[in-house]
Amino acid sequence: MVAAYGAGAAGALLAGAGRAARVLSAAGAMVGAGAGLLLGLHALAGGAVWALGVPDVVSVAGGLLFRLDALGALFLVLVSMVAAPAALYGVGYSAAYEGRYSLRWLGAMLNLFLLATSLVPLADNVVTFLLTWEAMSVASYFLVLTERDRPETVGAANWYLGMTQVGLAFLLASFLGLGAESPALDFADLRGAAAGLSDAGRGVVFALALVGFGSKAGLIPLHVWLPRAHPAAPSHVSALLSGVMIKLGIYGLLRVGLDLLGGGPPWWGMLLIVLGAGSAVLGVLYALMEDDIKRLLAYSSVENMGIITLGVGAAFLFQSLAMPRAAALALAAALYHVLNHAAFKGLLFLGAGSVLHATGTRNMNRHGGLIHRMRWTGPCFLVGAVAIAGLPPLNGFFSEWLLFQALLPGIGVASPLIAVLMVLALGMLALTAGLAAAAFVKCFGITFLAIPRSDAAAAAHEAPVSMRAGMVALAVACAGLAAGALPVLATTGAVAAGLFGLATEPPAFRLWLAFQTPAGLARMSPPAIVVGLLGGLALVWLAVRAFASRRPLRWADTWGCGRVEQTPRMEYTATAYAEPLRRIFSAVYRPTEDVTVDHHPESRYFVQSIAYRASILPWFERYLYEPVLARVRRWGRRAQSVQSGSVHAYLAYVVVALVLLLGVLLATGAP
Amino acid sequence: MDGAFAQLSMLGSSVVLIAGFLLLWRRGLSAHIDAFTLQSVALGATTGLVAYFTADVELYWVAGLLIALKGIGIPLLLRRMARRFGTERELAPYVNTATSLLIGALLVLLAYIVMRPIVQLSHLPTRAGMPLAMGLVFVSLFVIVSRKKALTQVIGFLMLENGIALLAVLGTYGIPLIVELGVFLDVLMGFLVMQIFVYQIHETFESLDVEQLNRLRR
Amino acid sequence: MSGLGGYALALGQAGLCLALAPGLIGLIRWLKARMQNRRGAPVWQPYLELRKLFAKEVVVSTNTSWLFRLAPYVVFTSALAVTVLLPILAVPLPLDGVGDLLVVVYLLLLGTFFLALAGLDPGSPFGGMGSSREMTVAALAEPTIAMAMFALALGAGSTNLGQIVARALERPAEAVSPGYLLAFTALFIVTLAETGRLPVDNPATHLELTMIHEAMVLEYSGRYLALIEWAAALKLLIFFSLLANLFVPWGVTASPGAGALLLAALIYAAKLAVLAAVVAVFETRVAKLRLFRVPELLSVSFVLALLAITASFLSR
Repeated sequence: MVAAYGAGAAGALLAGAGRAARVLSAAGAMVGAGAGLLLGLHALAGGAVWALGVPDVVSVAGGLLFRLDALGALFLVLVSMVAAPAALYGVGYSAAYEGRYSLRWLGAMLNLFLLATSLVPLADNVVTFLLTWEAMSVASYFLVLTERDRPETVGAANWYLGMTQVGLAFLLASFLGLGAESPALDFADLRGAAAGLSDAGRGVVFALALVGFGSKAGLIPLHVWLPRAHPAAPSHVSALLSGVMIKLGIYGLLRVGLDLLGGGPPWWGMLLIVLGAGSAVLGVLYALMEDDIKRLLAYSSVENMGIITLGVGAAFLFQSLAMPRAAALALAAALYHVLNHAAFKGLLFLGAGSVLHATGTRNMNRHGGLIHRMRWTGPCFLVGAVAIAGLPPLNGFFSEWLLFQALLPGIGVASPLIAVLMVLALGMLALTAGLAAAAFVKCFGITFLAIPRSDAAAAAHEAPVSMRAGMVALAVACAGLAAGALPVLATTGAVAAGLFGLATEPPAFRLWLAFQTPAGLARMSPPAIVVGLLGGLALVWLAVRAFASRRPLRWADTWGCGRVEQTPRMEYTATAYAEPLRRIFSAVYRPTEDVTVDHHPESRYFVQSIAYRASILPWFERYLYEPVLARVRRWGRRAQSVQSGSVHAYLAYVVVALVLLLGVLLATGAP
Repeated sequence: MDGAFAQLSMLGSSVVLIAGFLLLWRRGLSAHIDAFTLQSVALGATTGLVAYFTADVELYWVAGLLIALKGIGIPLLLRRMARRFGTERELAPYVNTATSLLIGALLVLLAYIVMRPIVQLSHLPTRAGMPLAMGLVFVSLFVIVSRKKALTQVIGFLMLENGIALLAVLGTYGIPLIVELGVFLDVLMGFLVMQIFVYQIHETFESLDVEQLNRLRR
Repeated sequence: MSGLGGYALALGQAGLCLALAPGLIGLIRWLKARMQNRRGAPVWQPYLELRKLFAKEVVVSTNTSWLFRLAPYVVFTSALAVTVLLPILAVPLPLDGVGDLLVVVYLLLLGTFFLALAGLDPGSPFGGMGSSREMTVAALAEPTIAMAMFALALGAGSTNLGQIVARALERPAEAVSPGYLLAFTALFIVTLAETGRLPVDNPATHLELTMIHEAMVLEYSGRYLALIEWAAALKLLIFFSLLANLFVPWGVTASPGAGALLLAALIYAAKLAVLAAVVAVFETRVAKLRLFRVPELLSVSFVLALLAITASFLSR
């Protein structure tokens, strides 16, 4: 796997621009992804743990250590599942970059990014983890920066880099806190050391890890980089960022929280639930207001990460309340949603990239009618939209159903605060599901349906074969995850059970037509639903054909209420579609509207133009980030005064430092 | 028998609480007065229910007093005031309707959390309704704080008193008749005083908007 | 109840629902007419309308795509799929293991999703308006449905429909418990919202005066319109069945005999008629709400559902 990715990177660098380079780098990436997929599936199926140590590299901190266990294998499969179609897609997509940006750099960084991302779930000591994590972040930074002549891209990349580095600092602090007692930094040793930490110590470690991993996962309020960075990156990179990289935040949380720390007091779970529910609702609310298709998808990623965190938080909570079966169910649901989200969000980003490629703009108000001209992208995007809205018969529905079922046992808990929290979380999850459906009707409907709203949309062409192939591959993955819900669920269940110390629990998940959740709470049969709906559709169609009129379809104009002709100006726009919700949730959005009317110079009765500007209040940027950044700038300016430029001052600093060091050594009595 | 008692008392408490929520939802003054009437009658009925199941004759008198005074008497006075000051609609409150309903729901949940230890300690079959009564107290306080019309605030205060009475009935099977009479008298006096105030506010400002009171500063 | 007999029963249930649904709409219309001092069309008028629509030519807008032609089938199939899962005549259901209450809710949402898309397809502002408002109402109704369902599920120990009905049959006293009554009221309000009845939407007019459902299906004609109208009637029937059989389950038999089934069908039809009368009276009495008062109404139903959960479950 390493060799394949390495070859892909090298090939990209050597071959230079041109089709060969693109194909080589994509081929390298795909082979690497395939290898990763095989390795992951083998580990999951076999249950064997595979370890590899490379102690010579970075030997000062214990060398590189890799270990593939069930949890890591699941995430490895995840990475590979999205990487292969995205790389395939990239062949066609990066053709647009020929001559403008360096394709070598793109190909090399892509392979490096995929390599690092695949290695993070395998890391078994602190050094390896941080090294691969940082490599992943830096490579993705360069990838985001691909289209560097656009100013917003540079700004977005800066935000992104800043937040990843801050996250890294928190992670470093967390690991240091964890490993303070033990000399070695292997995860195996850390597990043992964690048992010796005090409760406060564990809480601090968890909180630091939460900030670090939460910023990567895009939890509120650390999500601000997501809607900037994901739209700015090339589409297949966006698919990878959204589908794969942010999931590694969840992986880290699970690894540190559950595996290393072994779970904690209820407040961990409750905090995660609160953050998760908040991210979910706020994410989808902001997604509804977006006109930029990729920003909408980015906010939707925030929403789904919130849902996943909700499940993870429930798992932590149930574990702290000594309900391991409920915890395993919640975690299995969350992991299943992780897989599903990777599949359908990857698909949606690839579709959005296809639209961008065809029309040249991300603004949904300039799209329209694309379903007629893009015969492959349309259905693929529809599949993604139905899946992400959580509707049967696709995979999003099954994981949301499972998540609901997993949260229900929480209401029976003795502590009233937790029960109330669970009730509220369930309500917010339901609200999120409804709003997400609305957001994706808007997204798909405005972009693809009706008539084109601009010339670019009217002249759109279908994407090239490689892009189409990538999208179709992910659409098939969605359908596969839906139809094959039972085996997938059995696998995630096994992973989750392993984490909670329940030996594989086959009675909890019966392996054929239906599955029964523990505590006898519910039964559902995914294959039956899929088959039933599709079969029913076919039956109804046949019946109607048999019994209805045989007259052919007649085509005519849309009913116009007496107007003469239909122009695109008469259609609903994306902004208009979400306007009722903007008014209803105005307490959250605080929208401001500005209408300027330009009159004709001759007379006030004739209007030349009307400009309408609407915006919503960016709460987090204005009230959280701006004060913090302003303060940091102020300190930076004050610290600048230390650099006076005078050589004598610097020499004085050195002397003072030396004296202080000697003083400390004397005081502590070290030789 | 106990099962029916518990269910019916719960039903009565739910109706009382929902009448409180009607105050948050509807904006018209007559709707508010109707809600208060409904609430008082339901409270009287619940008291009568407790009286029946505990065979306490005094409580029958209390129930009758409740219905007579708060179910008939005070609404009559309120309607007279409403007629005199015109059937004005409630102005836009500080918090909009949907949000205040949600806040009301959260307050009821808070009441559950707060009353949980007490409910677990009690052995009475009516204990399940106590959190609802507490929720009514919170919701009435919220009404008094967030609405702008003086009459609505008065009705909120009366509902607060209803909530406390319900809490007493459910928690301790009512309070002695003498104490109840004293409480009634207090409430009546308070109500008459408020009536005078409302009249004065209207005389001074030609409206019942309590925000106008800050004009008195100048 | 298993094996072939069970599947026959499920199919029979679906057939019964298909047959009764237009009649239900006709009954409500007839009752409203009578209350408004009109004679009203006969109760079987919707059947005649459906027959007429199936025979008519289909006119499709040039702006639309294959999605427009697919949507009626999806909407109809999803509604039909729900009828197979509902406890209408007998419990335990043979298809009990296929879907539960959550599946029912999401299948209905699937229909709404495709209908909203189909409203956008012709590119007319009416369709866009209806679509936007329908998704708003659907999104706001979701938490209430979830909460009402969970109130029932927590009482019965499962979201499984058969189990909820069985539990209510075992313990009749719980059916008048405040939790159930609050959940019933909440679900009733949601029924009015989701099926486009007053005070949320006016099903009697067909243009921009009606804000939501009729505006979305403006462009449909012929058999597509027939499918959508039938699906809307089915949706109303489904909600009525949920209200009737989950909260007042007497009439649902546990034995598979033909006589028992016939009796169950009659009782079911009677319950539907009662609910139809209630809705007809309600619609005659209230006026339609402004669009931005609808979220307030839905908030009220959400609060009621939340109180239902707390009243029935948290106070144990």
